[in-house]
Amino acid sequence: MADRAGWQGAVESELRAAGRALAVPPASDLTAAVRQRLEGRAGHRRDERVLRTGTVRRRRGWRAALAVVVALLAVLIATPQGRAVVLHVLRFAGVELRQGPGPVRSPGSGASLPGERRMSLERARRHVSFPILVPAALGRPGEVVISDGGRVVSLIYRRTPHGLVRMDEFAGHLDQIVFEKFVHLGNVTEVEVNGTRGLWVTGPQELVYITRDGTPAVASARLTTGNTLIWGTRRVALRLEGNLGKTAALAIASSAR
Amino acid sequence: MARSRGGDLDAYAVLIARYTLRAHRAAFLLGAGEESDDVVQEAFVKAFRHLSRFRAGESFGPWLLRIVANETRNLTRSRRRRAALELRLCAADANAVTADAPVDEVLAAERRAGLVAAVNGLPDRERRVLVCRYFLDLSEAETAQVLAWPLGSVKSRTWRALNRLRGLLAPEEQNRFSSG
Repeated sequence: MADRAGWQGAVESELRAAGRALAVPPASDLTAAVRQRLEGRAGHRRDERVLRTGTVRRRRGWRAALAVVVALLAVLIATPQGRAVVLHVLRFAGVELRQGPGPVRSPGSGASLPGERRMSLERARRHVSFPILVPAALGRPGEVVISDGGRVVSLIYRRTPHGLVRMDEFAGHLDQIVFEKFVHLGNVTEVEVNGTRGLWVTGPQELVYITRDGTPAVASARLTTGNTLIWGTRRVALRLEGNLGKTAALAIASSAR
Repeated sequence: MARSRGGDLDAYAVLIARYTLRAHRAAFLLGAGEESDDVVQEAFVKAFRHLSRFRAGESFGPWLLRIVANETRNLTRSRRRRAALELRLCAADANAVTADAPVDEVLAAERRAGLVAAVNGLPDRERRVLVCRYFLDLSEAETAQVLAWPLGSVKSRTWRALNRLRGLLAPEEQNRFSSG
């Protein structure tokens, strides 16, 4: 029986790895359809059917989801800023971008993610379920911090030509929100990182960590420094933060291996 | 959350945006296939109508996923074709086997393919418990909530399913664990 935990752990980690590689078609944006059904008056049955056929028709080809995201971005940019109610939310690579004031105004230097643990890069690699990417352009990180039981890894570089630079990485396959960012959507532009889509967000933003059960971790709320680049590979979602210009950020991002 | 419970649709729209992808992944992997969007839409409508039953302090994710799992169950029960529910690896991963990749990556990809095929072949309950625990990354307690099973059943079915998959481990790993 002594070996039980050993082989069990091995099967479990193989299963998790297979889970990350499973084919899952993209989801449609259902907000409007659900709203319409909930706002609908009596005799809405027929409406329901029409809407549901609509969803079926929209699902032609997996590429549709990308179009939905891009369309959403266009809508967001067209939205007048400073609206009282946040109706639109942009979700991308584990980060939710919301227009509007965040929950905490003070920068709070003591802000931290839940369960932070400092360790070597090698140990961190054994603690998390996704491959940790290191940007060759910055070399070995000065500090490696894993948080919330290995859900997030942060590489911290204190002495770079750009000052303090931080790279947060988390599993890209779970379709969960890990960070929530409160932005003016005029500050968000689309960029390309290694041939995939990324978002470039300028200026300090409020950033909040979202726990596994979907609630914001209040103690994590802080103002970011400088600008942020958000992008993802198939298995890892990444955010790079620091006093970086766009060119420098893209160079660092594309050197991540 | 509190505003959603008060019937505020704007607040609820934020919850929908936040949970759609997770709910969709759950519906798809639990077998809703092409109808995953419909299942998720139905689940969000039902969840809103039943928000009064949601207890403050509970987490919304597993509570919603329970509705998703239930809807998916209703759908798959009425559907005969099981083949449609098979889990597949994404194309990039399946191609790794033939591509010009390092040997250990090819082996890992082959092992994953074998594992997914074996998961597809498991009895329905064991397959669902593995999907929740390892593909949706839920804890044992959350899995119990989502599948509406006692915690003991989650543990015993997980154990049984893992045992069946044990033979698929690479031989050297099996040796390592049985000799160590």
